Amino acid sequence: MEQNPTSGHPPRWATRLLEWYCDPYLLEDLQGDLYELYYRTITKKSKARANWQYAWLVLRSFRWSAIKKNNPLKNNFIMFSGQHFKVAARVLWRDKFNTILNTVGLSIGIVCFVLLGLYVTQEVTFDHFHSKKDRIYRAWLLEDYGEGKVFFNSNTPVRFEDLFEENFPEFEEVVQYHVRNFPVSRHEQGVISEPVAIISPEFFKVFDFDLIHGNVTKPLAGRYDLIISRAYAEKYFGDEDPIGKTLQLQLNENTTPFTITAVLDNIPQSSSIKFDLAISNVLNRELLGERSLTAWMMVGPETYALVKEEASIESVNAKSQDVVMSYLGEEMNRDEYNIGFQPLTDIHLNPDIPVGIAPVSNPVYVYVLAVIGFLVLLIACINYTTLSIGQSIKRAHEVGMRKVLGAAKRSLMMQYLSESVLVAIVSMGIGGVLAVFLIPTFNRLTGVDLVYLFEWWHLGVFLALGLAIGLLAGIYPAVILTSTKVMTIMRSASGSRGKHWVRKVMVTFQFVITVLLISSALIMQKQIRFLQDKDLGYQYEAFVSVPMFSSAESGRMAERIASARANAELLKTSIEAHPQVSNVTMASHTFGTPGWAELSFTDDKGIFRTFSMLAVDAAYLSAFDMKIVEGRDFEKGSGLDERQSILLNETAVDYFGLENPIGKTLPGNDFGEHRIIGVVKDFHFSSLHQEIEPLVITQNVQPMFRGVSDVGMKDSMIPKLLFKFTGSQLSEVQEILTEAWESTFPNRNLEYAFIDDNVARQYENEARLNKLIAVATVISILIAAIGLLGLTVLVVNSREKEIGIRKVIGASPFQIFHLLARTFSWQLGLGVALSIPLTVWLMRQWLQDFAYRISIGADMFLLSSLIALVVALMVIGYQAWKAALVNPVKSLRTE
Amino acid sequence: MKRESIGELEELVLLTVGALLDEAYAVAILDELHKQANRLVDVTAIHSVLRRLEKKGLVGSEMKGATQERGGRRKRYFMLTQAGRQVLEESMAVRMELYQKLPKLTFSPS
Repeated sequence: MEQNPTSGHPPRWATRLLEWYCDPYLLEDLQGDLYELYYRTITKKSKARANWQYAWLVLRSFRWSAIKKNNPLKNNFIMFSGQHFKVAARVLWRDKFNTILNTVGLSIGIVCFVLLGLYVTQEVTFDHFHSKKDRIYRAWLLEDYGEGKVFFNSNTPVRFEDLFEENFPEFEEVVQYHVRNFPVSRHEQGVISEPVAIISPEFFKVFDFDLIHGNVTKPLAGRYDLIISRAYAEKYFGDEDPIGKTLQLQLNENTTPFTITAVLDNIPQSSSIKFDLAISNVLNRELLGERSLTAWMMVGPETYALVKEEASIESVNAKSQDVVMSYLGEEMNRDEYNIGFQPLTDIHLNPDIPVGIAPVSNPVYVYVLAVIGFLVLLIACINYTTLSIGQSIKRAHEVGMRKVLGAAKRSLMMQYLSESVLVAIVSMGIGGVLAVFLIPTFNRLTGVDLVYLFEWWHLGVFLALGLAIGLLAGIYPAVILTSTKVMTIMRSASGSRGKHWVRKVMVTFQFVITVLLISSALIMQKQIRFLQDKDLGYQYEAFVSVPMFSSAESGRMAERIASARANAELLKTSIEAHPQVSNVTMASHTFGTPGWAELSFTDDKGIFRTFSMLAVDAAYLSAFDMKIVEGRDFEKGSGLDERQSILLNETAVDYFGLENPIGKTLPGNDFGEHRIIGVVKDFHFSSLHQEIEPLVITQNVQPMFRGVSDVGMKDSMIPKLLFKFTGSQLSEVQEILTEAWESTFPNRNLEYAFIDDNVARQYENEARLNKLIAVATVISILIAAIGLLGLTVLVVNSREKEIGIRKVIGASPFQIFHLLARTFSWQLGLGVALSIPLTVWLMRQWLQDFAYRISIGADMFLLSSLIALVVALMVIGYQAWKAALVNPVKSLRTE
Repeated sequence: MKRESIGELEELVLLTVGALLDEAYAVAILDELHKQANRLVDVTAIHSVLRRLEKKGLVGSEMKGATQERGGRRKRYFMLTQAGRQVLEESMAVRMELYQKLPKLTFSPS
């Protein structure tokens, strides 16, 4: 249909732009002309052409003579450029010492800020690289049967995939993700236990993981297809093309060859879902067993749902309970079995939802680091501000002269701001580049995994940040300098004495933050050392743990444990002969590994009970030097003990309410034949974040499993062989183990770990935070020292004559030092005093995370104050010493 | 008074303003330039030139005559000022004088 030629409007944005910049005096005519031409082109050519022409003409009209007189463009932009920067550069060049101090201080602050900022950004944008990230949700399952019988999991039953697809039309796609370890090999030799992801074939329709080679559209079409990451393709096949080749996976008794159909680009660091090998979940029946496919209570995989673009998760949440009741209505009450969803981007930093397969971070630590980054930057800005205010005395005459000559206040401010902006942008350049180069060092120092990829828009961010920092640091000195009255300045050189309190407040604030950081770092260090040195109730130094394997990967848990146990016996006999190996034992779980088996049952009084269980051999307690407080230890070689004897820890005795427990049984009705033969002194088998929990130690897991209704285990119960290595050379462990292992299990790869490493790793997060804060502390000390140095130099300069006269009269260098130190001493004192309550409050919060913690002693504050004091005195002392050495003739002769 | 010197496009526009009498507004000048001198000039350039000329005092302007096709906006009509007229005349005189001095031969084909 032909449109009325004179209808339609030129692009609105262009009109608005024109109205914004154009001088109103010219606007009407100019706009009229453009309209006239616009309609002319519409009739002659086309509307598109006319629009294009109109926009072009609006842009072309953007000329100096057409811009509004009071348009911000005409004022700031021009005022701020050229001239001012030139003068600023000259001023900065003239006072090289201060400029260098300012630039170095700001640069260091920026390095710290950028590094922490990158780290925080990486944590906050975890999983953000998926293009559909806003529509992807992970399901969770909350079972609440009352009386503390609560099970909250973000691992879900296998049937959820079908359940969601059938009942929630809001979902475009539902996929599952699961990780299990399988023995993997290329030629049935050198078998390594590798984590393998078990994923739905539609997995790649939901997530943006790049398949770079092979069948990228339908990678898991076949039953025994395998996806391999680039890194693993290199590991197994080197330079060969892996597509079409096979890897052997031992899923059950037999190994199965899997054909590689696609290569996956390595998964980014900031992804919760990480895998190097993936197979299809059509194998679930073989892998997890028939029962798990339809079970409602057995959880395993994580379930992810992609919501349709027009649908919302709320409508799913609204009806999920009804759907559950339609299946489980006869067995359960309403709201006992709850399904919920959390956004994909929420997984990494949400502590309220339990951890699934993907590891998560502590959000508090991320926020703390963000705040510290800002604080350090603030200290650096304050440095600039205090130094500039100090300079104001020197520059008061310059300002006065400019004012007398008729400089407007506004333009003077622009002058000073352009100085600070210039310094800030230069520092930003130095600091930014330095930060990027320091990333590997930072990673090594703090144990984080920071990856930085440069993109051009970062330059814009850096520039904007530099501008912001410059304005922030420069605004106050600029205001002070320009608002002083001309007459006061010209009459006396002393300048603005009344404004000094601001400077003092700022210096004090700087000290507060610095001392706060020092004390916090010290207190955290003390707590972490306390955790690592605390007597856990057993000896674990130099213990080595070797995970065993069962010859059959499937079958009942008890059979697999028995098989692995037999393997452990084989290995035990072959290493026991070594003189450097002692205390050989085996256990289902080791210290420093979370997720010990937790068993739950309803006791004879109807109370729901949960306890941890450890399966060991008879040598266990003596190997780890644990104390028996009542009864006896397992007797070696006693068949009765192996069958039915159990040990409890003290907490378990209290928990079950047993008096005189020896000879009694656990207060449950369904347990198999068992008898309590002894009570072990409490020991910290889990990390010190938690209290000691009730623990049952047994040699035979069968009677225990029979009596419980729920079993939870994050860590495998397959036995580990444990022994103490008494040799001096740690490398010998490798030799002894490799030799014994290869002669016993030639087709398997050996794995082993030191228990002390694992125990220390429990506090890895805290140690990392401590290291990050230590880095920030060192940097803030450095910045504060630089600031103090600048201020002292300033004071020395302004009191040069006074010092000269004092020296002539006979003052000693110490007296001169005293004179200078006095200037800052009360600010330092106040800073320390103010920081104490703040630190105590912050550290109390942090220590809440630990069940076992230190008390914050005065010693920490004494130490941190001492550090701050020593640094301050060193800086001041150096200047005082220099000032005291100057021949008074020199300072007095110059006028 | 300092004599204003004007550029080639300025001179052309100034001439057109004079030639169009009462009808001299930017779009009309644009069309006239196209018709007479076969010059395709951007309308923004015309505006710019007119502003310069007005600033130099060679033209004056007045707002009038709103029409539908301009979205109800008035036009700015320009007219030559006394000074403008004088500049034109001087420049024409200079040209004519120089032109007279050209040997006639140069133009006849040999």
